[in-house]
Amino acid sequence: MVRVVVIGGGWAGCAAAIAAAKAGASVILLERTDLLLGTGLVGGIFRNNGRFTAAEEAIAMGGGDLFVAMDANNRHKGINFPGHQHASLYDVTTMEPLVRKVLQNYNIEVRFQTRVVDTVKFGKRLQAIVIDGNETIKGDVFIDTTGSAGPMGNCIKYGNGCSMCILRCPSFGPRVSVTAKSDIKEIMGQKADGSFGAMSGSCKLNKDSLSKEVREKLEAEGVVVIPMPEHLIKSKTGGLSKKACSQYAIAEYAANIVLLDTGHAKLMTPFMPIEELRTIPGLERARYEDPYAGSIGNSIRYLGIAPCDDSLKVEGIDNLFCGGEKAAVLVGHTEAVITGLLAGHNAVRHCLDMQYLKLPRTLATGDFISYVHEQMGTIEGLRLRYTFSGSVYFERMKLHELYSTNRAEIHERVASSGLTDIYNRCLV
Amino acid sequence: MINKFASRCIDINTEYCPCMLAETNHCVFCSHLKGEQVCNCNWTGSCILYEKQWHSKKQDLPGAETKVRIEIESPVTVKTEIGKNTYQLEFTVTPELAQGLQKAGSFIFMRRAGDPEFYNFPVGIMGVSDTLVQVVIEAIGPKSVRLLNDDTCSQIIVRGPYANGIFGQPWIDNTKSSKVILVAGGLGQPPAMPIARTLVNNGNQVTALVAPGKVGRAFIEAELRKMNIEVISIPSLRQTGIPLLRQMFASLEQRPDLVVSAGPDDQHYALIAAMQAVDVNLPMAATNNTTMCCGEGICGSCEKQTRDNKMVKTCKVQTDFTEFICD
Repeated sequence: MVRVVVIGGGWAGCAAAIAAAKAGASVILLERTDLLLGTGLVGGIFRNNGRFTAAEEAIAMGGGDLFVAMDANNRHKGINFPGHQHASLYDVTTMEPLVRKVLQNYNIEVRFQTRVVDTVKFGKRLQAIVIDGNETIKGDVFIDTTGSAGPMGNCIKYGNGCSMCILRCPSFGPRVSVTAKSDIKEIMGQKADGSFGAMSGSCKLNKDSLSKEVREKLEAEGVVVIPMPEHLIKSKTGGLSKKACSQYAIAEYAANIVLLDTGHAKLMTPFMPIEELRTIPGLERARYEDPYAGSIGNSIRYLGIAPCDDSLKVEGIDNLFCGGEKAAVLVGHTEAVITGLLAGHNAVRHCLDMQYLKLPRTLATGDFISYVHEQMGTIEGLRLRYTFSGSVYFERMKLHELYSTNRAEIHERVASSGLTDIYNRCLV
Repeated sequence: MINKFASRCIDINTEYCPCMLAETNHCVFCSHLKGEQVCNCNWTGSCILYEKQWHSKKQDLPGAETKVRIEIESPVTVKTEIGKNTYQLEFTVTPELAQGLQKAGSFIFMRRAGDPEFYNFPVGIMGVSDTLVQVVIEAIGPKSVRLLNDDTCSQIIVRGPYANGIFGQPWIDNTKSSKVILVAGGLGQPPAMPIARTLVNNGNQVTALVAPGKVGRAFIEAELRKMNIEVISIPSLRQTGIPLLRQMFASLEQRPDLVVSAGPDDQHYALIAAMQAVDVNLPMAATNNTTMCCGEGICGSCEKQTRDNKMVKTCKVQTDFTEFICD
């Protein structure tokens, strides 16, 4: 039996575990905290702009389980907000138990509060990983989906300090990169000014702390846009360049406060002093839900990206794959899921001595992975973030006619590249 | 029971962290404070970079500078000769310093009042009652001789508290309701006392092997018996102690869960060899006998190389003693 060990239970790790299980492996997923989904616990936006195409491609390839779960749990669909069309918002407060159930259906063993602290390597192969308390967990192949955000020391050095975000490092211990512990030098994303890392791009406000009008409008329409009061426009723009998500670093977000209903009220700004926030009409009593210290800052990410090729195998280790933010300077859970699926699938192929799957550039997801990896070779490229939903990559999608909202057309493209239901095939 | 522990600085999570090493980017623990780019520490529950940041904010306030050890001058109240050139001293310290010396493995630096700081030498604590501290010193080198040989000067300077007197401290602290063998030889007897107290308080069944060593006297036997510890007196560790230990390690009924060696390094090595001879690998705690000058990780005199080629500042860093064995 092929034994796959996935480290990190965010969207990418869950997707990798599912893909590996579908391909016929016995899968164990290790999660540092007590909840799956990682930063997906505060995400929520999917199917906006090019993410629609990417999600449909994954569904056509047989890796749609998580997108189906998100669709089934959405609060709003087909909403538009500045720069973004046809977005769906899943309910972040109820998403996690649903994903647990999906993993359970595939007989994936999930171990919570299990933090990796080291690896056991022999030559260019990983033999086992060591968890806190010195237990070792052996496997045939490993998938690093530990992300690139935090912990506190990094958030102080490259940001404004620990902002008490959903990663909850002080409570569960910091993230440890399997790649870095295997002596592979990691890549660090940069801000526009060349300093390392980038700040997460949005905060969550407690919905009950909003005014009745704002709350009701938000729940009815999914989005509320409040023009930014004159006195705040100046102080806010400074925060924009520190954002992770360049799809929101546009003028509309400096001139307006954009709130989205993801269960909490998602505020599309990395942080804002609560005194300033409360001068906005309707937000007079507002308080943060995540990060709790949204007044001072947000988590810092892109501090540990694994060097990997387009099959998502980590360079320098024969049996280590990676997904999500670990695999490239990418943003969002759609991006995490599509890379996770590929990593999980290829991990099983590794054990069976099969040729690795690489997604063709005729598909948005294939072009995305290849394009981001190409761009990461340059300094300028490391200073951008890549997502199907905006910024440079969405422009490229439109230019190369990879963007489509026509389900039949997308499924046809996948079929013509011969990848229909590829993730559903048992390889073992 | 833990079977392996990470190398950790003993001062983490105490008021002495972050220390002067963090100020100069030589922290033995935090990767950022060693000059590395990203987090890569062996998490202990707190972030030293954070502690340092808060500390830096306070530094301008008077009295909030980097916390340094307490240094006090005190008269020696009792001085008893207990062996050749070996004296038991008693003196009072401040309540704060006495409190800091309660834990097994605590030590202080001592010198004669009026002498320059380079006369400081480390001394393990034998016992603390209220503010009265008990130590045993053998006049063997220039520093200890200078302190002991001058009968006219009984005023001493005490600096402390320091904590890393035992390699394998976590085992002493965390072994509960288990079988423990404590081997105390020669000048290993004084530091064996606080170890014995901790082990007994944790409900362990302790058997002590006490050898007189060069001191020529097993002076802690009576005290150990008072604690209900089974004491086996051995005239010579090498001739009678080691064969006895080997026999105990080999027997399933007598084999302990933890071995504690209080004595010279040769004794530590002999115990490890005894375990190897009968093919057992028991957790072991051993007293720290390293030569030290400052105790703060600054001077470098206590640095030792481990088997995997790392340099360890033994005045601060916890390490398994077996790591120091070079094949």
